[in-house]
Parts: sequence; C-alpha cells; structure tokens
Amino acid sequence: MRELPSRREEAWRWADLRLAERLRAVPAPANDALPDLDSLALVRPAARAVLAGGHAIESAGRPTHPAPDRSIAPHPLADIAAAEALAGLVVDVGEGEDGGLLECVHLGTSGAAHSVLRVELAAGARLTLVETIADAEADHWSNIRLDARLGEGAELVRILRIETVHGLASTRAHVALARAARLAEVSMIASPAAVRAETHVRLEGEGAEAVVNGVLLASGSAALDVVTRLQHEVPHTVSRQLWRLVAAGMGQASIAGGVAVARHAQKTDAAQSLRGLLLNRTAAVNLKPELEIFADDVACAHGCAVGEIDPLQRFYLESRGLPRPEARALLMQAFAAEALHALADPELSQPLADRLAGHLGALA
Amino acid sequence: MLAITDLHASVGGTPILKGLTLSVGAGEVHAIMGPNGAGKSTLAHVLAGREGYEVTGGTAVFLGQDLLAMAPHERAAAGLFLGFQYPVEIPGVSNLLFLRTALNAQRKLRGEPEVSGAEFLKRVRAEAQALGLDMEMLKRPVNMGFSGGEKKRNEAFQMGILQPRFALLDETDSGLDIDALKVVADSINRFRGPDRGVLLITHYQRLLDHVRPDRVHILAAGRIVESGGPELALRLEAQGYGAIAA
Amino acid sequence: MSDGTETLSRNAEAEATLAGLGSYRWGFSSDIEQELAPRGLNEDTVRYISAKKNEPGWMLEWRLAAFRAWLKMESPGWAKLAIPPIDYQDAHYYAAPRKKPALASLDELDPEIRRTYEKLGIPIEEQKVLAGVEGARKVAVDAVFDSVSVATTFREELKKAGVIFLSISEAIREYPDLVRRHIGSVVPVRDNFFACLNSAVFSDGTFVYVPKGVRCPMELSTYFRINAENTGQFERTLIIADEGAYVSYLEGCTAPMRDEHQLHAAVVELIAETDAEIKYSTVQNWYPGDAQGRGGIFNFVTKRALCRGDRSRVSWTQVETGSAITWKYPSCVLAGADSVGEFYSVAVTNNLQQADTGTKMIHLGPRTRSRIISKGISAGRSSNTYRGLVRVGPSAEGARNFTQCDSLLLGDRCAAHTVPYIEVKHPIAQIEHEATTSKVSDDQKFYAMQRGLPEEEAVALIVNGFCREVLQTLPMEFAVEAQKLLGISLEGSVG
Repeated sequence: MRELPSRREEAWRWADLRLAERLRAVPAPANDALPDLDSLALVRPAARAVLAGGHAIESAGRPTHPAPDRSIAPHPLADIAAAEALAGLVVDVGEGEDGGLLECVHLGTSGAAHSVLRVELAAGARLTLVETIADAEADHWSNIRLDARLGEGAELVRILRIETVHGLASTRAHVALARAARLAEVSMIASPAAVRAETHVRLEGEGAEAVVNGVLLASGSAALDVVTRLQHEVPHTVSRQLWRLVAAGMGQASIAGGVAVARHAQKTDAAQSLRGLLLNRTAAVNLKPELEIFADDVACAHGCAVGEIDPLQRFYLESRGLPRPEARALLMQAFAAEALHALADPELSQPLADRLAGHLGALA
Repeated sequence: MLAITDLHASVGGTPILKGLTLSVGAGEVHAIMGPNGAGKSTLAHVLAGREGYEVTGGTAVFLGQDLLAMAPHERAAAGLFLGFQYPVEIPGVSNLLFLRTALNAQRKLRGEPEVSGAEFLKRVRAEAQALGLDMEMLKRPVNMGFSGGEKKRNEAFQMGILQPRFALLDETDSGLDIDALKVVADSINRFRGPDRGVLLITHYQRLLDHVRPDRVHILAAGRIVESGGPELALRLEAQGYGAIAA
Repeated sequence: MSDGTETLSRNAEAEATLAGLGSYRWGFSSDIEQELAPRGLNEDTVRYISAKKNEPGWMLEWRLAAFRAWLKMESPGWAKLAIPPIDYQDAHYYAAPRKKPALASLDELDPEIRRTYEKLGIPIEEQKVLAGVEGARKVAVDAVFDSVSVATTFREELKKAGVIFLSISEAIREYPDLVRRHIGSVVPVRDNFFACLNSAVFSDGTFVYVPKGVRCPMELSTYFRINAENTGQFERTLIIADEGAYVSYLEGCTAPMRDEHQLHAAVVELIAETDAEIKYSTVQNWYPGDAQGRGGIFNFVTKRALCRGDRSRVSWTQVETGSAITWKYPSCVLAGADSVGEFYSVAVTNNLQQADTGTKMIHLGPRTRSRIISKGISAGRSSNTYRGLVRVGPSAEGARNFTQCDSLLLGDRCAAHTVPYIEVKHPIAQIEHEATTSKVSDDQKFYAMQRGLPEEEAVALIVNGFCREVLQTLPMEFAVEAQKLLGISLEGSVG
C-alpha cells in the first residue's frame, strides 16, 4: 500500500490527513442514504454527474472508470485515487465545440471514496466545470483526482466548491494548457472539517493564461490546506492568483501558493496575492507564497498580508450608521469576494457570492 | 442641539481634552480654530465615538440624548455626521453600495422605511451633479485612488445623501484647491438650515470666508480659551495663535 | 602522530601566486606551524579538544552529550541545496598555530599570522587607533585563526567599562557561571544537525557580556579565518546584553583557496535583556570555490537571538558573498513585550555557488515587531534562495511584521527562489509581505553606460542601488568593504 505523506514533510506541514489514515482500509459502501441532491446544486446545470461514496449515482458525459493521465508527475494522494477509484467521469469536448456547463457532485458518505475525472478539451473547445464536494453525516475521506488537458485556444472555467462538514476532502487537479489556452478557476472552500485541495497548472504553450483564485473559510476546528503550483514552462505566459483566507473558531486556513518559472520561460508574468483574516484568538492563518525562478526576464511578484478587520475602516462604516456586525460583514465580504472576480459570467458568480455571503454571515 | 460640558478625554493615557465646554444651537454654525495639537481632531473623534479615545470626564448631550453612551452607528443614526480629515480607503466596497447600506441602516434604526433603489439613485445623481462628481467615480471602491480633493468632495457628497442633523467637519478645507473649496463650502451652505447645526474644525480662516460662522471658538491645550463672533477668526488670522495663547 | 598532532608545512608562495590568478583575493594560505587533532571524529576527538582547551568537567560532559545526540541525527534535506555527501571522518576538528601567541600583546603574535592579517587588510593594530587621530572610531578585534582565538584587542579599555570581550575558551575558564548559564539556552544542543555537531566540537569563538546600563564604548569585531587544510571550523559566539545595555558586533570571514570543500559550522547565540540592544553585522566572504565549483567553504551556520526582556532589540545585518554553499537563518525569538527583531540581508551568488538563507521571526510577546529586508542577487549558474518564517503566537497581541524580499537575476542560467512561511495565530496582528523578481533593465544599464560607466561598473552601480537599504544599516567601515565585495563577487557575470 502506498504511504500517506507525513506532516514532517515540508509540503504537508499544515495538512490534516488523520481521517485518511483512519479510513484508508474502509471503502465507502454503495448504498448509503443520500440527502436531497437537488439542494446541493450550485446552478441549474445542463448536465450533472453525482458520485456518492465514489459510486456513480447519476451521470453526464461518459460514466466510466477512467485511466489517469500517466504523463503527470506522481502525487501521493492522486496516485491512490488512480489506483483505488471505482468510478469517475470522462469529459471530451471536440474541436471548437462548447461543452456547456457540467456540474459534478461528490458526496462523502462514510469510509474512503476515490474518484478520477478526466477532461480533454480539443483546440478551441470550451467547458465550464463545477465540482462540488459535500457530505452526509459521517466521517469520510473523499479523494478526487482531476487530470485536464486544454488544447490550443481552449477554455476551461472550473469552480471548486467544498462545503463538507464531517470528512476529509482531498483533491488534486492537474491542468495542462497548450498555446493560448485559458483556465479560470475559483475555489470556495467553507468547512469546519479537513480539506486538502491542490491545483497544479502547467502552462505549456505560449500565450497560455491561468487565473487560480479562491476563498477559504475555516470554522469549527477546520484544517483547510490549499496548495497551488503554477508552472510556466515556455515564454510569454501569464498567471494570476488571488486567495482570501478567513479563519474563525479553532479553524486553521493555510495556503502554499507556488509559482515556478522554467529556464528560458522569458517574459513570464505571474502575480500572486494572498491575504488572511483572523476572527479570533484560537484561529490560525498560514501563508507560503513561493517563487522558484530560473529565467531572468520575468515579472513575478507576490504580496501577502494577515491581520484583523481594519478598525479604522470599521469605524468609518459605523460612523455612517452601520451597526458593528453589519460593518464587519460588509468588510469581510469585500475582502473575500475579490476572489470571485475571475468569473466573468454572473450566472456563475452570483450563486457563489450568495453562498459565500451566507457562510460569512454565519461567521460574523 | 449639541451641548458639551467640561469634557475630558485621553488618547493612549495622555490627556488631550481638559475641560472643554461648548454649545451649538439649532440653526447655528460654529467654528473651532486652534493650533496643531490643541485637540481639534480628538474632539471630533470623541464625539463620533472612535475606539481608543477615552472619555475621562464631562458630558455631551445631542438632541436630548447622552451622546457618549451611544455606539458610533447609533450616533450616526441620531443625526451626527463626521467629515473625516483623512477619509478612509476601503478596497472592494463600492461607494454607492456603501452609502446605500449606511443610509438604510440609519433609517432602520430610526424606524423609517428603506429608500428604494430608484429613489436612492435620484438623490445620488442630484447630489453628484451639485458637487461636480463623476458617477463612474462613485462606483469605484470607497475613496480608493481618489485625490485629496476628491476625497473631501466625497465626504460632502455623503453628507448630502445621508442628510444628518448635525455636521462635524474636521479640517474639511485642508488639501483643497480654491475651486474645490468653493464647491465644498457651497455644500455646507446648502446644508445649513433652521433645524441643523454645523461645527467646523479648521486651522485657517479661509473656509470661513465662504461659510460665515455665527460663533468662533479658539481651542488651545484642550480647552476653549476664547469665543467670539466671526471677527475673532479675522483677528486670529492677523495675529496668529501665539498672541492668543499668550 | 604519536602525540596526536602533526605538523604541516607547505609552499605558501605557490599558493599565493595561484590565488592571484583567480578573483578571490583572500585565497592565499599562510605557512604556519600547526597543531592538528588527528583526522576523524569520535568521542576521543571531543575529549582531545576539551583537554587542549583546559576545560572544566561540565563543559566536556556537555560536549559529549551533544556528540552522542549528533550521532543519531541526520543532515537536513529541506533546503534548495545540492550538498555533496560530507565525510565527517575525513577532517581535522582542531587546528591551532603551534606557538600560542601571548594574548596581551600583538608583538608576540606569530609574524606569519600578522602578515596574514595585514594581507587581509584587517585593522588589527590597535596602536594605530590608539595613537591615531583624536576621535577616530575604535574597533576592538578578536581574531579567530582556524580553531583558536589569537588576539583580542582593547581588552583593558573594555574592562574599564565593565564589558567582557574574550575568546569563548577563556570565558569558559574565567567566567564559567555566565557561560554555563547561557550557552545552549538560545540554540539548544539538539536544535539541528550542524548546531549539534558544533556543540560537540566547537573550538573557539567569542564571548561578550555587556553589563546593566552600559553602552559598549566601541564596535566589537571578530575576524574568522580558516587557514589549515582539511580542517573544519566550528566557532561558537555568545553575546549577552544585560538590562539597558547596547553593543554593536561585527564579524568578517575569509579562507584560503583549496580544491577540497571545507566545513564551517558555527553557532551564534545572542541574548538581549530588558531595554537592551544588540546589532550584529556579518560580512561573509569565505572562499566560494572556483568557476567550475571546485573547492569552497560549506557554511552551515545557526544564528539565533533571544529578545528576552521587554523592549529589547536585536538587529542582524548580513552581506553574504562567499562560500560554496550557505545554509544560514539568523533568527529572533521575540519573547519580551514590545521587543523588536530586524534582519537585513544581501546574498550574492555567482558561478556555481548555492545559498539558502533567510530568517525566522518568532513573535511570542505582545506588540513585538519585526522587519525583514532581503536582497538576493544571482549570477552565473548559481542558485539563491530566500527562506523565511514569520510566526505570530497566540499571545503576541498587536504583533507586526513587514517583509520585503527582492531577487535580482543577472543572466539566464541562474536561479532565484523565495520560500516564505507566514503562520499567524493572533487576530490582532499585522503581517505584510512583498516580493519582487527583476533583472537589471537594459534601460538602466544603457543610461549609466551612456553617462560613461563601463558595463560591469554600470551593473555594479545598479546592484548597489538594489542593496542600498541593507548596506546602509552596516557600520561605515563595513559598508565600504561590502560594496567593494559586491563588485568583486559579480566579476565575470556580465557580458
């Protein structure tokens, strides 16, 4: 059996994989009781796939047991997903076609559930993929691997929404971008439980652009841990990352945001903004904005900050008549909502903003 | 309208206001002048209820209510408006959203119905036009990327929309060129009325050329040391603060 | 070999000539009779060192405990460094000039060592300053040559002020209580692999104690020099500033050019009590190896300050231009309320040098503040990593940190990495971090060249501008030296 990574390894120091250890040998059963699936949908999608405990319940696209993309570098959790997945999804969008909107719901039931998603967008193809991870009422480990390839000029909009309450949700997305391909990704992770979400993007063709944004809301005793790695492999590629972390209760929100620029990937333009907001003394925010640069003619910058709600801003709002909780909520929303700007389509951003406001309201 | 009696206040343990007494009646415009460090901005922040400004003695009664016992937003809803010397930048919050949320929060606290979107926009357009403010600018985040003059106009604009009973204007004239000064002065003059009060806090006489005060007070070392009519400001301009303090 | 020592004698002339060919100007070695510990590392080596230094029993026990702990530890692998395997048995852990110089007077110093220092340009001759112009700034110097301290100047004058400035070996004998109380209190014996090794085999170093309320009347300075072949240098520095005391300490390092790598694993501990301030500046210019990566010092150093008292203040400034590999993170534990930690760093790597350096700021006390300014410059085929940690503990209400780390790349075969960790556990904390990566722009270079500067000077000028914020925190004498060093280190990196 493959080893699970340990917290002593630098790349896993903020992760909480205890449920993976515990549930590793307990596969999720096929017949767990399911909650109302419709209430889980973020938008009314054209197509929907539902996997409960790793078993296919409803399918769009091609329900299969997809083989992982073997060309991708090994990853401890993604490799377990590839080896142990029972079901998954393959989405192929042909040249110039619009694959529309696909929502894929992963429902954690009990035990360990692994699934593999493969997305192949041919040249000029488009797809909006909404991935939702939620759970029922028991501990679970939901481990998902997404291998995506974008052909020349293809466009993928990916929304990752994790709203688990009990289990450990772990995802590893790998997206490879050919010339002029574009990725716009927004994650909204609001949970009192454990999450490890990784996005690896390889910009392999000139003119490729990736925006990888997200909001983390850690409440309860959450350990939310995000890792991004944007690898600029060729000249003239662009990446933007904007993450907003809010931690309340005993929650811990962490992100290791990485940018790597390969030798000769000149004129890379990469920017990263990581900011954390702590709501009380038992919460924690960890940031690691990492740069790994092997080319000299690049513009790579990152900024990050952690703090409380600015008391002067709050006073300004109060002096204009807003009660303190409203002033706090408004400032928190302004803080977090910036990450959603990567979604141009209000049909997508509005429901996400509404859910975000709901979560924030509960925290404020 | 506003009656301040023997007010003492400290910032970080250092006493700044040391027995300030001042009363502004309805329909009146008062000006407080004074040298740097006299406690002018402290007075403004204490009246608006900013954290860290500790009242150690005295009272402030606003429209019959104990001002000092109220939370900052309650003071706003009661009709007190503070024009900030340094308006605060708030990234990510648009001016209009901010103002509409504030207006409705105040109205809710006063038991008044919310202002509809259309009604709100009507007021905004009228006020923006009066102040020569660009509507596009108002859609930007609060005070972000505004010049010093634009920020002060934005304060005047907010005052016009919120329609408070009492305006407490802290160094509203600083950082304004002469045209902007006139625009802001006009908005103060428009605001004047029989059931409204204004307290101008200023270092220089020049704003008072455009907004004629009923009373002028000189604040030095935390107390009002002299009060008089508009002529006091002129005398001060001619003689300087040194002469007054001596 | 029978008495455990061997004598080395080499053709220093030839080496000095060789040194002149390269760009490392401190690469000569000196022909000095050496007393060496036998090659290898075991408990007997530790006993040998302790015996050579006439140490009390507790010190030997401390060393042995460290050695036993070290045997169970592993060399750290997390840095972005390619470290060739080190054979810890293939080095001498103690080397001393055979004629032990009389410490009271420089005249009795081995003339060869003095010549070495003259070549190094170290202002060691106290007479010059004593006899010098009124108002000339005094710098008290301790010089560590391979394993032992050979000269400590101005001792008497410092003594009058109550300042203790000694080699650590002397301090262990003369002030055993002070040393015993503080050694290992900031960097525990088992802190890390290299610190643990140092604890077992440290040979010499500097001890400074500045008593209550005393402002040390002059800059204190130590020059470290590795001379002997196949030796490791393990110096240990302990500086204590008592309540309200102030001290500024400078450290410079050089080594001869040799084809083999040499290990330098130092430990520096600083303790600042209430209202005390310590400024610690380093210009590190160990031999970096040649353009093909042969030779050079492995500089694996643990430096840490404990701001124990309220309102205490420690500032680290480092200019790192030398060494084949640098692994070094001068850090501050901000325990006292309102204490302040600062880290200013310039790290230059050229040819095949590797540096993984930065700092840790551990905020424990309320309203503690820290500031990190790091400037990394990579040229040639080198690799330069900033690694930092800013941690705000749950009791550090109102803590603040500002970090700025900038990288400059010269050429397209080098690498620059930034690995900052920020861990915050208190809501009322303000942490800001900014990082940029840039190259010397053609416009800047052209502008300077159009005004008459040759390309290399133009680049040096721009690089100096890039580092200005850090260089200006150095004491004047060091700032000038550091600026020159930057230019020399980058030679051959342009065009």
